[in-house]
Amino acid sequence: MKRALTSNQQTLWIGQKMHPDVPIHNTAYAFTIAAELDLKAFRKAFQKLVYEVEAFRTVFKEEDGVPMQSVKSDMSYEMECIDLSLETDQAVQLWLEKRSQRLLELDNSAFDSALIRRGERKFIWFLNMHHLITDAVSLATIFQNTADYYKAYLNRTELPKDINPAPYSEYIDDLVSQKNGKRENNNTGLLSEKLEGLGQLPRYYGVKKEGSATRASRISIPLSKEKSDKIRALITDPDLRSWSEHLSLFNFFTSLFFVFLYRTSGKQQIAIGAPSHNRGTRKFARTVGYFVQVFPLINELQASDTFRTLIKRNALEINDYLRYSTQGESNYKLNQSFNAVLNYINTEFGDFCDFETKTSWIHPGHMDEQHQIRCHVMDFQSSGAFEIAIDLNDEVFSKDLREKVSVHFTKLLDAFITDLDTPILKPELITADEKSVLIPKPEKGWKFVPTIERFHQTARKFPESTALRLGSETIDYRDLERKVGALALKLKEQGVKPGDAIGVCFFRSPEYIISILAVMKLGAVFVPIASDLPEHRVKYMVETADCVLLLTNELLARKLSIISKPTIEIDHGSLEISEEDLAAETYFSPKEEDPAYIIFTSGSTGDPKGTVIPNLALSNYSGWAASYYLEDRPSSFPLFTSVGFDLTITSTFLPLLTGGEIVIYKENERGPDMSILQVIEDNIVEAIKLTPSHLNLISGIELVESKIRTVIIGGEDLRTDVALKIHEELDGKATVYNEYGPTEATVGCVVSRFDPKKHNRTSVPIGQPIRNMQVFILDPYGNLNPAGVAGELFLGGHGIAKGYLNNSKLNQEKFAVREGISENRLYQTGDLARWNSDGELEFLGRIDEQVKLKGYRIELTDIEANLNEHEAVNSAAVVLLDPSSRNTEDKVLNCAECGLPSNYPNADFDDEGVCHLCNSFKGYRHEAAKYFKTEEDLKQLLSAPKAKGVDYDCLTLLSGGKDSTYILARLVNMGLKVLAFTLDNGYISDQAKNNINKIVKKLGVDHIYGETPHMNKVFVDSLHRHANVCNGCFKVIYTLSTQIALERNIPFVVTGLSRGQFFETRLTEELFWESSRDTATIDETILEARKLYHQEEDAVKNLMDVSMFQDPATFEKVQFVDFYRYSDVSLTEMLHFLKEKVGWERPTDTGRSTNCLINQVGIYVHKKEKGYSNYSFPYSWDVRLGHKTRAETLEEINEYIDEKEVKRIMKEIGYLDSPYAAEERRKLVGYYTSDDKVTDRELYTFLRGRLPSYMVPSVYKRLESLPLTSNGKVDRLALQSFNEAQLEMETAYVAPRNEIEELLEGIWKEVLQLKKIGVHDNFITLGGHSLAAIRVTTRINEELGMGLGLNKIFELPTIAEYAAFIEATIVELLE
Amino acid sequence: MTDKIAKYIKEEVANEPLTELDMQEDLLGSGIIDSVGMMKLVLFLENEFDVKIGPSDMTVENFLNLNSIESFLLKRKQETG
Repeated sequence: MKRALTSNQQTLWIGQKMHPDVPIHNTAYAFTIAAELDLKAFRKAFQKLVYEVEAFRTVFKEEDGVPMQSVKSDMSYEMECIDLSLETDQAVQLWLEKRSQRLLELDNSAFDSALIRRGERKFIWFLNMHHLITDAVSLATIFQNTADYYKAYLNRTELPKDINPAPYSEYIDDLVSQKNGKRENNNTGLLSEKLEGLGQLPRYYGVKKEGSATRASRISIPLSKEKSDKIRALITDPDLRSWSEHLSLFNFFTSLFFVFLYRTSGKQQIAIGAPSHNRGTRKFARTVGYFVQVFPLINELQASDTFRTLIKRNALEINDYLRYSTQGESNYKLNQSFNAVLNYINTEFGDFCDFETKTSWIHPGHMDEQHQIRCHVMDFQSSGAFEIAIDLNDEVFSKDLREKVSVHFTKLLDAFITDLDTPILKPELITADEKSVLIPKPEKGWKFVPTIERFHQTARKFPESTALRLGSETIDYRDLERKVGALALKLKEQGVKPGDAIGVCFFRSPEYIISILAVMKLGAVFVPIASDLPEHRVKYMVETADCVLLLTNELLARKLSIISKPTIEIDHGSLEISEEDLAAETYFSPKEEDPAYIIFTSGSTGDPKGTVIPNLALSNYSGWAASYYLEDRPSSFPLFTSVGFDLTITSTFLPLLTGGEIVIYKENERGPDMSILQVIEDNIVEAIKLTPSHLNLISGIELVESKIRTVIIGGEDLRTDVALKIHEELDGKATVYNEYGPTEATVGCVVSRFDPKKHNRTSVPIGQPIRNMQVFILDPYGNLNPAGVAGELFLGGHGIAKGYLNNSKLNQEKFAVREGISENRLYQTGDLARWNSDGELEFLGRIDEQVKLKGYRIELTDIEANLNEHEAVNSAAVVLLDPSSRNTEDKVLNCAECGLPSNYPNADFDDEGVCHLCNSFKGYRHEAAKYFKTEEDLKQLLSAPKAKGVDYDCLTLLSGGKDSTYILARLVNMGLKVLAFTLDNGYISDQAKNNINKIVKKLGVDHIYGETPHMNKVFVDSLHRHANVCNGCFKVIYTLSTQIALERNIPFVVTGLSRGQFFETRLTEELFWESSRDTATIDETILEARKLYHQEEDAVKNLMDVSMFQDPATFEKVQFVDFYRYSDVSLTEMLHFLKEKVGWERPTDTGRSTNCLINQVGIYVHKKEKGYSNYSFPYSWDVRLGHKTRAETLEEINEYIDEKEVKRIMKEIGYLDSPYAAEERRKLVGYYTSDDKVTDRELYTFLRGRLPSYMVPSVYKRLESLPLTSNGKVDRLALQSFNEAQLEMETAYVAPRNEIEELLEGIWKEVLQLKKIGVHDNFITLGGHSLAAIRVTTRINEELGMGLGLNKIFELPTIAEYAAFIEATIVELLE
Repeated sequence: MTDKIAKYIKEEVANEPLTELDMQEDLLGSGIIDSVGMMKLVLFLENEFDVKIGPSDMTVENFLNLNSIESFLLKRKQETG
C-alpha cells in the first residue's frame, strides 16, 4: 500500500530533490563498542531488526510528481563486515566520513550499515539511515533493539517480544484520520503573525549566502563536566526553571544561541528552527520513523536584555513554540522562516549489552541549503558533560570564520555561566588577536605642519606658476601670496586677532581664496558661506559663530543687509599691493588645536549646526590627500562646488599645497549650478573632486579626450555601476577613488581606490582609514564588532573636529571617549558599516533619519521645522522618496508548481510553496475550459461566405516563430485563403526572415511586411511604460493589421497568442467567478476591453494613424480571432507537423528561444526595474495550462542576457539606460496638513527663503491628516508608499469615508497593486488600463450583484465618483 | 476532575505505562511526562474544562502534580466566573 509523505517528510523530500546528488539528509552514526563481538550473532540480530522494523523496508517513489512511500514486504539484507584493524584511527575516521556520504537509494533501501573490526575487543557498528525514515529517538530504539536481539542470539535465549510497537505507517494513517476528523490546528494564526514581524533573515558576520550550496563543516565544542554542572545548577534558579530539566536546558541553550546570532548578525528579531521529537503519545513513543517536527522559536532580542531577562521571556516563547509544535505540522514554508537551527537532543544511547560504547554522529558534509548554522547539544553517553556541535555552511563560514565562531560562542557561554545578570551585549566576543587587527597602532614619524605654512612653502617654490585661474585671467603664486599678505594686513588693521571667526561669503572667485588664506595667515578662523544661502540662515551662522567680521563682495553684501556685523567688501581688483605692505609681513603660526575653519551643516532643529575644525585636522587631511592622490606633484583642480560644503576643501587646498592651479568656476547668481559642464568642456584640469550626482550631470558627455586622471568621489554612497561608468568613460586612464568622511572628521577619512575587478557588489566599499585616522565598528554596548558584523562607525584620530559650536550636550554625546577602545575622543557618525572579507569598510546606511541627497546631508526635521513655520501649515512631515529602494535582498523563490517568482507583485505562496494563482486557478479551471473551442469551430467561423470582391478569408500574423507558422499552415490546410502579415520591427533575425520567406513560398500564400517609421519611439515608450518591448510591438501589429484588413475587406485577423497570454492579457480570474456566465458575455467584455485598449494614451496612439478605432464599426468589420483558443496542440505534435509540412527550422542567430533580437532588451529592463522577467507571468500560465513544464519555464526566464548587445540596441533605439535613473527619482517630498489649500509654488518659495536650495522639497502633498504609527509618531513608511503619479495629483489624499468607498479602495488597491489610494485619485493616472478595468468592474459587480459596464470606470474615474454612482443606483433600485 | 486528568495522563502522555497516579506524584521531576506530553496535557485541559492557559500559566507551580493542576484550574474557573 502506498502512502503520501507526512508534511515534515515532504520538507525533507523537497530539500533532497533540489539536491539529488548530495547527502544532505543522511543520518549516520558510529557506535564504537569495546568488546569482542560475535559477528554471526550481530549480523543476525541486525538483519532480524531490518525484517521486523518497517522503516528499514520503506522505499520512496514519485508518482505523477507526488512522492509516495511504501513498505516492501520482503527484503533480503546481508550486513557487510569489514576488517580495518590494521588502519590508523585517522584512516578509519576518513572511511566513516566517506561512507556516510554515500547516497542512499530511496527507491530501494534508504539505509546502509556495516560492522567494522578495529582490533582486538574493538568494533565499530556503522549505521546510516536517510532522515526520511529515522530520527534520534528511532536510532536509540534501533540501538537498544539490536543489542537485545544480539544478546538473545548469542545466548540462544528467547527473542524479546514487543520489540516492535505501532509502525510508522499507522502513524501516517492516524494523522490522516485526525486531519479528516477535526479542524486544522488553530494556532497557525499566532505563528504566522509572529513570523510576519521577522523581516529578512539574519546575515551572520555580514556574509550573504548567494547560492544554494549545501556543503557544510562541523565544529565541535566539548563542554567540561564542570561547566555542564554549572549550567545544570543555574537552571534551578526560579527564573530559569521550566517544567522539566530538559526544557530548562533547552531554554538555556536556545537563549544562548539567540544571543550568539544577534551578536554576529546585528539582527534582533530572530527565528531559530528547533526540532521537537513530536512523540506526544505513548503509542508511537518508540516507533522508528521520522517524527521530528522543526518549528520556529521566535524571539525579539532587546539591546537592554540581560541573560536573565532574555531567558525569562524565552520561556514564554517556548511555551508558544510547544503549543504550535504539538498541535500543528511543520512544512516547507516554515522551514524558510529561519536559517539557524538549535537541536537539543535528549536521547541517550548508553552501552551496547553492557560493553562500553561510544556513540558518535557523523556529519555528512552537507546540510539543507536553507540552514546556515545548526547547533546541536547532546550527551549521548549520559556522561553529564554536554557536547556542542555546530554545523556551518561553508559558503557563509570560511575556515577562518569557523574558528572564530567557536571562540565567540564560548566567550558568550562563559560570560553567562559566570553571571546571569550580564547584559547580553556586554561580553566582548572578539579575541586579543582579532582586537589587534581591529585597533590600529598609532602611526609614528608624522609631523604637524600648518596648512597655511605649507601654502607659503609652495608659493616660494613655484612663484611663477599659475595658482588661480578664472576664465582667461590668471594669478601666479607670487602675486597670490602678495594679495593674501595685503588683505591680512588690512584685516589686522581692523583688529582681527588669532582665533577670531570671520565669515567669508563669496561667489567662487579669486577673492574667496585670497580671503580664506588671509584669515588663516592671521591665525583667525574662516567660516565659509555659500553665495546662495538665504539671508536668515547666513545671519544665524554669522551670529552663532560669533564672527567679528564678514568678508564679502558688493553684490552679496546688498543681499545680506540684515547682518549687523562689520563687513568688508572685496571686489575684483580691489586688492592693491603696496611695497609698504610687503615689508610689514605678518604671520601667526597656529598650533595643532587652534581652529582653522567652521562649517555649517543641516541641523535637526531647523537651524544649521557649526562644526569647528582644528588646524591639526585640516593639515592631516590636506597633507595626506596631496601625497596619496597626487604624490605631491603639482595638480590642477576645478573649484566648482559650493564653498559651504566640506567636500570643497579638497579642491581648495590640494592645488595650493602642490603648486597646481585652482581653476575657478563662478556659480550663476541664480538658478541651478551647472558649472561641472563647463569644467568638462574646458578640459583643463587633471584632477577633480565631486559627488555621484555630479557624475549624473555629465553622463553621456564624451570623455575620451578628457585630461582628468584623478577622480575623487565623495559626499554619498558610490554605487558600483556609477563608478564603473566613469571609469570606462575615461577609458580606464583615470584612477577613481571613493572617499568617505563626515564634516566632523574633516572631508575624508576613509578611502578606497576603485577596482572594477574586485568591487562587484552594489556599492563600492569606502575602504580603509587614511593616515592618522582610526575606524571602529561598535555595537550599542561599545564593544568592537567582529569583522563582518555591521555596527555603528566611530572615527578617531587627527581629523576629528573640536566639536559643535555652542552645543555641549551634543558634543558630549557625539565626541565622547569610549572606554576600552581608545583614550581619545571618538566621533560617533550615525553611519552603519562593517569590515568586509577583503579588509575594506562597507557603508550600509544611516542609523537615524538623516538623509543624503546629491552629496548634501540633510536632517529631515530641519526642513519640517521650517515648513511648520508657514502660517497656513498645521503640521508637516518630510520624507525622501526613493523608488529604487525595493527590497531585493530576500531570496527569490519560485512557485513549486508553475515557477512564478516570489517577487512578482502580490505573489502569495502557501505552505507547500504553491502560489495563489495556481491555487485559485484550481477553483475555476473547469469554468475556464468552457472558453476554449475546437479547430472545427474555427474552420466554420472563418469559412463563412464572404462578400464579393474580397480575396481573403483571413489575415494571419506571421512572426516566423513556430507558433505563428503552425497557424498559417493549419489555416492553409483548412482550405482557407490566407494573407500573411509580418511586422518588420527592424529586429527580426535573418534566419527568421529566411524562414518566413521560405514558409510563405512553400505554402503558396500571399505575404506582406508592414512597418512604421516610429518603431523605435514605440519601443522606447513601451520600455518606459511597461518595462518591456513586446507591449509596444503588439499594439503596432494590431494597428497595422486592422488597417490592412479594413482596406482589403478581410473580415478576420488571426493572432498567435498563446493560451498563457490569454490569461495574462484578458482572461482574468474574475471573468469566471460566476459559473452562469456564458462565453458570449466573456467575449463581449473582452471586446469592450479591446476598444478601451486602443484608447490608451501611448506612443502608438500619438504617432500612428489610429483614427479607425474611433469608429465602433471597425470592431465589427474586422474581428480578431485567437487561433490557440481553438487548438490545444502539444509542442511535439506541432514540431512534427512543422517539420513534415513546412520544413520550419528554429532560428539560431538570436541566441535565445525567440526570433526577435530586441526582445532581450525588454527582458533586461524588466528584470532591472521590477526584479523579474516579463515572461515570468505568461509562462507561469503556460505551465498551469500544461503547455510548458516548470523546469522549461525557469530555464527560459533565467536565460543569459548579452548585456553588451542590449546596450548597443538601447543606444540604437534611443533608450537612455543610465545608472542614475534610480538616483534621479529620489526626491524630497513635503507632506502637510492645512485648513486652506496652499500652492506648491508658495511653499517652495517660502522654504527657499529659509533653506539652502538642496533642502527644499520639490513635491508637496496636502493630506487630511498625517498618518501615525501605533506609537503616535509620524508613519514615515506610509508616507513613502505613495507612488509618483499619486504625488503629482492635484488632489489631497482623502481616505475612504464610507463602506462603498472602502470596498472600492480595497478592490483598486488589489488590482492596481498600490498601497494607498485616495478617494479623489484618478484611475487612469494611477495606471489603470483596460485589463485593470475588467478586473475592477467584474469584482465590483460580483461584490454588489450589479451589472456595471467597463466604461463606467473611465467615465467616473475616482473612487468618490464611482461610489456616489453606486449609491445612487442602489437607492434607485430600492425605491 | 482529577480522575479525568489522571486517566488522560496514564493513557496518553505518560512516558511509561502507569497503573497508579498519586495526587502528590511529581509529574515533571520524575520524568513521568516530558514537555511535549505536558503540552498535550495543557491542550487537553483547555478543551475538556474550557479554560485558556496562557504561556505565563505554564509554570512548575501550576503543573507539579495533580493537586496543583486541580487548584490551578479551580482558581482559573473562579476568576473567569
